[in-house]
Amino acid sequence: MSSYTPSSSAGGVGSADSAAPRRNSKRPKYSKFTQQELPACKPILTPRWVISAFMLVSIVFIPIGVVSLLASRDVVEIIDRYETECVPQNFRNNRVSFIQSDANKTCTRRLTVTKHMKQPIYVYYQLDNFYQNHRRYVKSRSDSQLRDNSSWNDVSSCKPEDDSNGLPIVPCGLIAWSLFNDTYNFSLNNQQLAVNKREISWKSDRDHKFGNDVLPRNFQNGTLKGGKSLDPTVPLSQQEDLIVWMRTAALPTFRKLYGKIERDLQPNEVIHVTLENNYNTYSFNGKKKLVLSTTSWLGGKNDFLGIAYLTIGGLCFFLALSFTVVYLVKPRRLGDPSYLSWNRNPGGH
Amino acid sequence: MKQIAITLELPEIEDLDKHGDKEATAEASLDCVKKQIHDGKSQMGKENSVEFGLIIDGKSLTFAMDNTLVNDFMDLAMGCATVICCRSSLKQKAVITRLVKSVVSRTTLAIGDGANDVGMLQEADIGVGISGVEGMRAVMASDFAIAQFRFLERLLLVHGHWCYRRISMMICYFFYKNITFGFTLFWFEAYTSFSGQPAYNDWYMSSYNVFFTSLPVIALGVFDHDVSARLCMKYPLLYQEGVQNLLFNWVLILGWMFNGLLSSIIIYLLTANSITGQAFRKDGQVADYSILGVTMYTCVVWTVNCQMALSINYFTWIQHLFIWGSIALWYIFLVVYGSIPSTLSTTAYKVLVEACAPSILYWLTTLLVISALLPLLSYRAFQIRFRPMEHDRIQIQRRRSESLERDVAQSRLSESSETRNSSDLPAEVRIRIDSLKASSRRKNS
Repeated sequence: MSSYTPSSSAGGVGSADSAAPRRNSKRPKYSKFTQQELPACKPILTPRWVISAFMLVSIVFIPIGVVSLLASRDVVEIIDRYETECVPQNFRNNRVSFIQSDANKTCTRRLTVTKHMKQPIYVYYQLDNFYQNHRRYVKSRSDSQLRDNSSWNDVSSCKPEDDSNGLPIVPCGLIAWSLFNDTYNFSLNNQQLAVNKREISWKSDRDHKFGNDVLPRNFQNGTLKGGKSLDPTVPLSQQEDLIVWMRTAALPTFRKLYGKIERDLQPNEVIHVTLENNYNTYSFNGKKKLVLSTTSWLGGKNDFLGIAYLTIGGLCFFLALSFTVVYLVKPRRLGDPSYLSWNRNPGGH
Repeated sequence: MKQIAITLELPEIEDLDKHGDKEATAEASLDCVKKQIHDGKSQMGKENSVEFGLIIDGKSLTFAMDNTLVNDFMDLAMGCATVICCRSSLKQKAVITRLVKSVVSRTTLAIGDGANDVGMLQEADIGVGISGVEGMRAVMASDFAIAQFRFLERLLLVHGHWCYRRISMMICYFFYKNITFGFTLFWFEAYTSFSGQPAYNDWYMSSYNVFFTSLPVIALGVFDHDVSARLCMKYPLLYQEGVQNLLFNWVLILGWMFNGLLSSIIIYLLTANSITGQAFRKDGQVADYSILGVTMYTCVVWTVNCQMALSINYFTWIQHLFIWGSIALWYIFLVVYGSIPSTLSTTAYKVLVEACAPSILYWLTTLLVISALLPLLSYRAFQIRFRPMEHDRIQIQRRRSESLERDVAQSRLSESSETRNSSDLPAEVRIRIDSLKASSRRKNS
């Protein structure tokens, strides 16, 4: 039809006019960007790329999966569920009234070490069916009050636990009010096993979120006690249990760090745990568990990551193989112009 | 092509006209036009393997638009391959365009350069104005303006094709990325007893569509090509992809939405099960709500941007900058937002720097979201292999012909190096010269 070259700019005079008398050309300045001719890479999914992509993924994932699984197998974990068994027999049918009464709540448990556990051994308490991620619960705190003594009055976001007997509560809110108050004492061969309860919270929390001039005031003073009481002489930045608890958990089943045991434990050793079963999880059928766990470079015991990597690596390997088979069995000469639809159906649509 | 002419330049009409009897002239003209239309239709009916062209002038058009004749006229016109209405007025052009639009439920395009085309340009679905000799009035009334008539070919075949693909891909991708994001929130809600607690910090959610996923979509919508301009002009039938609406149908839209749903499920399950529960670092710390949010969000940003990288066919420095830059921007945002005092940054305070970055589990979980990309990759691999679309075939053919030329240039080079051992040009320069010669030969053909 016309003799212009396809790569000429759309707004200008074509090469056919070069012999015509020169006129004022309104041709815009050529630039690769405006003419969309930037140097580009145009990848297409050829069989080679597809198979190599899948193989690469499986080659990377399968070793990672194996390594993760081994790391998880190295972790030794002791879990002891105690909330049902720590209620005396005669109160088993009415556990809520037991927990709310003044009865003796001390309970002894025995934990047997199965494998050698290297220090530090982390002690956690695990709660099930406790929705620390409920919206009303998460909202019920006052960060400015926690940080700074001068904002001790700032309790508006803490309803319903904002004040009691007319005075504001420090620290206010449902999260602080429901502070976990079971305690654990460990002994091994009649010797006390020390639990280090320092530095169990995040450093940024201790240094920046919880002020070192903020003292608990008017805390757990109401008719209903939700949990632990705080020592009014210790500033919040040193109340590590509170700090750990205030970091709301992600899911209804969660663990929180209680302390660290800084000695090795040998297999077949029996640890006696004297615990105070104070915390009321019976009103909502929650479970309480005591967990002792070592860690590996990856963290705690969780086979999921290793299994996921292995599964996906295996799946990719299988896909790579099946694509190889498909491409070998039914090779199609790619780029054969006879496959273009207008070449196959001459005469058009 | 056979021609059917409808004209009033006939002796009997001119006679009546000379006599000055307007009514009689009008009646006779109407009859004449009616007869010519019926003749034309019967001629078309008899020979239906031949293409017809209709020619009608402005005067006859006035009578053909008469209520009694207009349906017959439109039948005749629609049956012809080409219709030429010459010497028609501005109003007639607009009326014809409106009639065609109402009879045929397709998109109409009008092109014109003068002031008498303005009515037609505005009436049609798409008006293309030519700027130039007859002034700028057509340009001001048009949707697109070009400088010469011959640029219409490039406007349709190249830019029309690209625009169609870009817009349809952009819309599908928008749905995809927001469904992926939104559904992770929804799955999390199932674990908060549906209390409405969002999984992410408020600022993360506000900046999702603004900072971390908007630039790649812009790069897709403005710059993407599937086939180069030269090949679009070479294979004009590629334009049929738009006409037949192959790239924006319900199957594709629902497919992308389903991909989003699948991605969100994979991301949520992988993240929630890997990070929560046990300690996620060597120092025994457990992942709380903010760390789960950061990990899930990181996975979403990676997945959504990598899906974009898998879907586009044209990578310039702009695409690379936007895609990888958006992902980097997320980490930078975390660091910056995390260093603002905790009264403002609440749950995000130092979350990347202190909590997540030293945790190897966090990085491994992010790597695991490659699995969310597998569905699309497998689907595309199957589709290109078993049901390639036209632009896929053309791309592959282009790749094949390019590599063929490279081989030819290489073999020619090796031949010449055997005969001319002492050449003063280095080998790389000669290869470059040969490939330049080949590509300029290709362009001129």
